[in-house]
Amino acid sequence: MIGQTNALSAQLDNLENEVTTGLSVQAPSDNPDAMVTTLNDLATQSADQQYSSNITTLQSQANSIYSVLQSLQSIVSQAQSIATEAGSGTANQTTLNDYASQVSSLIQQALKLVNTQNPETGQYLFGGTDTSNQPFTAATNADGNVTGVTYSGNDSTTQAEIAQGVTISVGVPGANTSGSGTQGLITNTSTGADLFNHLISLQNDLLAGNTSAISSTDASNLQNDENNMTYQVAYNGNVQTQLSTASSFASNQNTTLNQGISNASGADAVQVMTQLNQVQDAYEAALEVTSRVMEVSLVDFLV
Amino acid sequence: MAGQSMETQMTGISVTGQNLANVNTTGYTRQTVDIQTNPDIMTTIGPEGTGAEAVSIQQAVDTLLNGQIQGQQSVSSYWNGQQSALESVQDELDEFLSSTSTSGSSSSSDDTTTSSGLSTLLNNVFNDFQAVATSPTSIADRQQLISDAQSLASAFNQIQSSLIQEITTLNTSLSNDVDSANQLISGIASLNQQISAAEFGGGNANDLLDEQQQDLNNLAQLTDITTTAGADGTVNVSVNGQTLVSGSQVVNTLQTYDPTNGNGNLLVQTSSGTPLTLTGGSMQGTIDARDGTLSTLASSLNLLANSIITQVNSVYTAGYSLTGSTGADFFTGTGADNIAVNSSLINDPSLFQASGSATASGDNTIALQLAELADAPQSNLQNETFSDSLDQTIGSFGDSLQTANNQVSNQTAVMNMLTNQQSSISGVSLDQEMTNLLSFQQAYEASAEVVTTVNQMLGDTLQMGSAS
Repeated sequence: MIGQTNALSAQLDNLENEVTTGLSVQAPSDNPDAMVTTLNDLATQSADQQYSSNITTLQSQANSIYSVLQSLQSIVSQAQSIATEAGSGTANQTTLNDYASQVSSLIQQALKLVNTQNPETGQYLFGGTDTSNQPFTAATNADGNVTGVTYSGNDSTTQAEIAQGVTISVGVPGANTSGSGTQGLITNTSTGADLFNHLISLQNDLLAGNTSAISSTDASNLQNDENNMTYQVAYNGNVQTQLSTASSFASNQNTTLNQGISNASGADAVQVMTQLNQVQDAYEAALEVTSRVMEVSLVDFLV
Repeated sequence: MAGQSMETQMTGISVTGQNLANVNTTGYTRQTVDIQTNPDIMTTIGPEGTGAEAVSIQQAVDTLLNGQIQGQQSVSSYWNGQQSALESVQDELDEFLSSTSTSGSSSSSDDTTTSSGLSTLLNNVFNDFQAVATSPTSIADRQQLISDAQSLASAFNQIQSSLIQEITTLNTSLSNDVDSANQLISGIASLNQQISAAEFGGGNANDLLDEQQQDLNNLAQLTDITTTAGADGTVNVSVNGQTLVSGSQVVNTLQTYDPTNGNGNLLVQTSSGTPLTLTGGSMQGTIDARDGTLSTLASSLNLLANSIITQVNSVYTAGYSLTGSTGADFFTGTGADNIAVNSSLINDPSLFQASGSATASGDNTIALQLAELADAPQSNLQNETFSDSLDQTIGSFGDSLQTANNQVSNQTAVMNMLTNQQSSISGVSLDQEMTNLLSFQQAYEASAEVVTTVNQMLGDTLQMGSAS
């Protein structure tokens, strides 16, 4: 009798535990198969959370790059306008000198932009994988005009995982003279882009009054730079779309995994409450019967 | 005749009193008095009765049922031994699911299930490799990685240490069981001698037999024994074909021995040096838990830790740190008992070799390869990933404990059924004993009345003689 009440009491404890925790499986011995399924799902969920964190970091990096790209596009556009105006041959040297001064200013702005550092990490955005050193360094003459820009970064980019087995490269190297791989932001040999040299050439041709070179060479060179910037903006957009898609996938998978975890190890509230009431009734009845039986004996009637 | 009847009924009252006195005595077997009619005396008018006498006091015992209980006690103790050992290891493993509310709501739909233990720590480390791969120069991410890797290594060390401690405890428990068994063996031999002496010449050693059965049950809890009853109430005891007790003689005692000379995992043999293959009882439960589930768990965790150390280091050593250093290991040690994070990293996270190039601090080639190890099947882990292998190890351990729990539950039901049966045969019922008491009392009173009546008749007869 005591054994039965103890068994019912243990059942009550288990059911109350399930109600309060919402879990039917808490320890491996409760249900080993469900435990393994839940641990697998939790591992996948944990990896997804990390992918989401990766995506957030990469989206921030992609946004920073996009901001620089927009500014560089504007610089290329302004330089193209100057080249068009100056290349028409209608401007006098004074005007050309003013244009040269504007181009010089554009070069300085572009230099500042391509040496942008990640505000959170302090790492340079456009040095390839050499992110600790300033990638672009300018040489100037006595007049303060930039005569050349040296790139000290590399043409590599990092890959980061955004879903299991899916990697993406957000970074853009400042220059790529190898003819293959990720296109360089300023210099890309395979497409003829070389923004700093082209701006310096325009600046020099303006100062020299060489309008024919401006119209014949500089304008077409700048077109290559514009095309390169257009490509970079499109690439950045594509990257952002992939990141957004991966983020949605991770979020959806998280919902599915939560459901799977709940199915494997969660307690069915209705079923558990019904069982709890049944066992509670049985327990109370067992206690009642035990107390009644214990108190009645033939001895009571004889004494 | 009436006087003898009073004596007989007094014996009945005495036996009832003995039963009532032992109503709460564990192992006591209800006794009954056997009353037989005396032989008739042939007279001219026919046979004349000479009353009744108490010829023996018997135990209400079912020897077959006692044998069944004895056998089932071995099985119950075997599974209890396993359950007890594995439950404490499950606590040490600390691999539990818990539920946390994410919005402060009481609704279960807002709850998030989380796990503790090695599985979570392992996931954290490989996620941290991902974080470093995404931000290769971040010192904060490197610090988090090193901290989580230390937690993982420490958990491996603690669990392995706990398993070794548990195995030591089980060996001690086995030695204690052997000591207890030897005391019982000696006690049974001694009781055999006393019972044999008491029953010599037709006596009954009921209370000694109860004590003997109790000792046999206790011995059966320790190991699976075979018993053979002798004609004089003695019992011979053997285990695994080896005689332990023969009559009043202790033929063999039990002792532990270390079969591999040094690893401390003891087994049981007889005092004559014959190794025993036990199949039940707490001793074998202890041995099977130690050499089966716990040994498998320890070797699986050790293999996993070794595999993590080897695979991570093989990728990691080729990498370059933020200072340009290379060639160091990430983990030191060879297994679960001594895995640790390279101490130089703990002091300086910039030394973590995430880059594949000495000149490119932003390169993440090595960190990414380390992160991708999480999804790589490992040939020495049956082509499972680290995480899957650990989950399977945990599941397999859970299976063993679940089996032990189920068997303990089943055995409890079997033992309840058998002891209830035994109780209905051998147990003392207050109601029944009180009924017997009344019956004997009334019979005694009736016999006393006969004596009084006869006495009165004799008196009347003597008065008639003196009057004449």
